[in-house]
Amino acid sequence: MTRFAWLQSRTQTLAFFAALAALAVAAAVTGVHLSHLYNDLVRHCEVRGNCQLGISAFTNHYNFLQGAFMLLLRLAPALIGIFWGGPLIARELEAGSYRLAWTQTVSRRRWVITKLAIVGGTAVVAAGLLTLTVTWWYRSLDSIDPNMYGVIDARDVAPIGYTFFAFMLGALLGAVIKRTLPAMAATLGVFVFVRIAVQQWVRPHLLSPLHKTMSILSVKDFGFISSNGAPVELTARGSSPPGPWELSSQLVTSSGHVATGAERAAFVQHYCPAVAAPPPFRGGPSHPVAAPPGIREAFDTCQQQAAKTFHVLVTYQPASRYWTFQWLELGIFLALGLVAAGLCFWWVTQRIR
Amino acid sequence: MTAAIETVEVSKGYGRRLALTDTTMTIPAGRVVGLVGPNGAGKTTLLHLAVGLLRPTSGTISVLGDTPGAGPETLARVGFLAQDSPVYPRLRVGDHLRAGTWLNPHWDGEFATRRVGELGLDTRQRAGTLSGGQRAQLALTMAVAKRPELLLLDEPVASLDPLARREFLQTLMEVVAGHGVSVVLSSHLIADLERVCDYLVVLIAGRVALSGDVDDIRASHHLLTGPQRDSLPAGQTIIEASHVGRQSTLLIRTTDPIFDPAWTVTPVTLDDIVLAYMKQARDAGVADATPGLAVAS
Repeated sequence: MTRFAWLQSRTQTLAFFAALAALAVAAAVTGVHLSHLYNDLVRHCEVRGNCQLGISAFTNHYNFLQGAFMLLLRLAPALIGIFWGGPLIARELEAGSYRLAWTQTVSRRRWVITKLAIVGGTAVVAAGLLTLTVTWWYRSLDSIDPNMYGVIDARDVAPIGYTFFAFMLGALLGAVIKRTLPAMAATLGVFVFVRIAVQQWVRPHLLSPLHKTMSILSVKDFGFISSNGAPVELTARGSSPPGPWELSSQLVTSSGHVATGAERAAFVQHYCPAVAAPPPFRGGPSHPVAAPPGIREAFDTCQQQAAKTFHVLVTYQPASRYWTFQWLELGIFLALGLVAAGLCFWWVTQRIR
Repeated sequence: MTAAIETVEVSKGYGRRLALTDTTMTIPAGRVVGLVGPNGAGKTTLLHLAVGLLRPTSGTISVLGDTPGAGPETLARVGFLAQDSPVYPRLRVGDHLRAGTWLNPHWDGEFATRRVGELGLDTRQRAGTLSGGQRAQLALTMAVAKRPELLLLDEPVASLDPLARREFLQTLMEVVAGHGVSVVLSSHLIADLERVCDYLVVLIAGRVALSGDVDDIRASHHLLTGPQRDSLPAGQTIIEASHVGRQSTLLIRTTDPIFDPAWTVTPVTLDDIVLAYMKQARDAGVADATPGLAVAS
C-alpha cells in the first residue's frame, strides 16, 4: 500500500519539489548577495554609530522577493491543504475508484492510514524545506527587525504545523463532503477561520504577559482626544522594550485601576481648562487655526499634573519568548491536525458504509 | 457446500429510503449466477454489501462463510468489478498491474500480463484514455488476477457496445472455465446474461422475486393459450395473464405436467419469464410484492 500511495501522489510530489528546487536556487543566489549587502551597509555602520541610513538602504533591497517569499510561506499551508488534502479521499469517492481501492486485499484502515501518512508526511517535509529556505533567506533582514512577533507565522517551525493541520483538514473534509471542489473550498474556509481564531483569541492567552508601568513624562505619545463632541479626554500610549509583542497600553490611576473615560475627562476639565474648552474650529486644511497664546504652557502644566495622577501600564510578551510561541503554535496545529486525522480515519472506516 | 452469498433478513437504508428490505436469500457457490432486476432493485447495494463496501442496516450477510470486509483474508477471497469499471485515469495500464501486485498477496502477474497482451492494451497508455470496452477488460483482468474464489461483477456490460459486450463475456467464460471461480454478475437485462449464467436471481424492489437454476426455471414455466376460465388446477400459479375477448394467454409456473387439452402450450423464453415477474411485482405494488417465490431445484 505504501508503494501505491507513492505512485498515486508521484506527480504532485515531483512537481512540488521541482518548484521548491527552483525557489531554493533563487533564494541561495539572492540570499548570499543579501549577506554581502548586510556586511557592507549594516555591520560596518554599527562600528561607526548611526545606522538608520544603512539599515533603510539595506532593507530596500529585494523588495519584491521579500514580499513574494513572505506571501508564499503564508499561502503554502493553505495551498497544500486545498490541493493535496482536499482531493486525497474526495477524488476517490467522487470518481468511484474507492470501489477499486477498497476491494483489493488491503483493509480500509490500512488504506487510509497509509495515504494520510505518506502524503501527509510529504506535505510536512515540503513545508519544512520551504520554511527553512525562507527563514534562511530572511536571516539578516530579521536580525535588524524590531518586531519578530509580526512574522511569527511566516518563519521557523510554525508553518510546518499549519501545513500538517491544513492537509489533515482537507483529507477529513474530502471524506465527509465526498466531492473534490466543495471539499477544497471548505478546506480553505475552515483553515483560514482556524488560523485567524488562534491568532486573535488563543495566542494572546497562551502565556501570561508581562507588565511595565511607565511615567506619562517618559512616553512618546501624550495628548488629548475628543470624538463626536464628547468631552475632551487624556490619552497616553507607552512603548515596551524593543522587540516585544505589545498586547495593550492603558492609562491607570494611582490606585491601580484602569482610568475610565469619565475620570479622564474630569481630569482634563479640572486641571487643563484651556484644553477642555478649545476655541471653535473654523479652519480647514487651507486655513490653519493659530494656536491660542499660552497653550504650550498649559499643555506642559497639564502633563506634569497628569504624571502625578496617572501612569501608563504596558502589557506585553517579551521578545525572548519568541521561540516559546513558535513551539506553542507548532504544537497547537499539530494537535489539531492529529484530531482531524483521527476523525478522517473514523469517518472512512466507520461512516462510509 | 458454503453458499457464495447468504443473507438473513438484510435491510440496507440510505437515509429514509430502503434499498433492501428484509432480504433473505442464498446464492450458491460454484455457479455463474445472474442477478437480474430493474434499475433501483438493490442489485448494486447487495453486491456492495457482499464485498464489504457497505454494512447492512440490519440482518446478517455472509460471503463464502465469512463476514464481508472483515479483514484482508476475506477481501482476498472476493474479486469485485464495480459498475462502470472504475480505474485510475491518470495512472498507466502498467501502473494498475503493478498496483495489483503490491495490493494483493495472491496476485497472478503472469495471467494479468498475458491477458493485457492478448487484449492489445499498451501498458504505457493512461487508463483514462482507454475505450469503455478496454477499461472494462482492464478492470476485469484486475479482479481476476487477484485469484478470488468468488467474482462479483456489477453491471459489467451495461455501458459496452454489442461487440465489446460479447468480447467481455467471452473473456469471463474463459476465466470461469480456466480457474473454476464462482461468479455473480448483475444486469437489468436478462438478455445480457442468458448466454453465460446457469443460475438466476431476480431481485425486484429489494426482494427476491425468483431464484433458481436456469434450466429448472425454463422447465417450470409455460405459456398457455386458450379459452378464458376462472381457475387452474392446484400446483399451477399464474404469473401473468392477459385476455383478448374470450381468449386468455397465461404465463404459469408449475412443476406438474399440463394435461388440459384446451390449452395450447408453448415454450417461453427466459426474457419473458423475468419480464413477467417484474410486471407482476410492479402491479402488486412495491410494498406487498410476494417475497421468496423460490423455485425448487
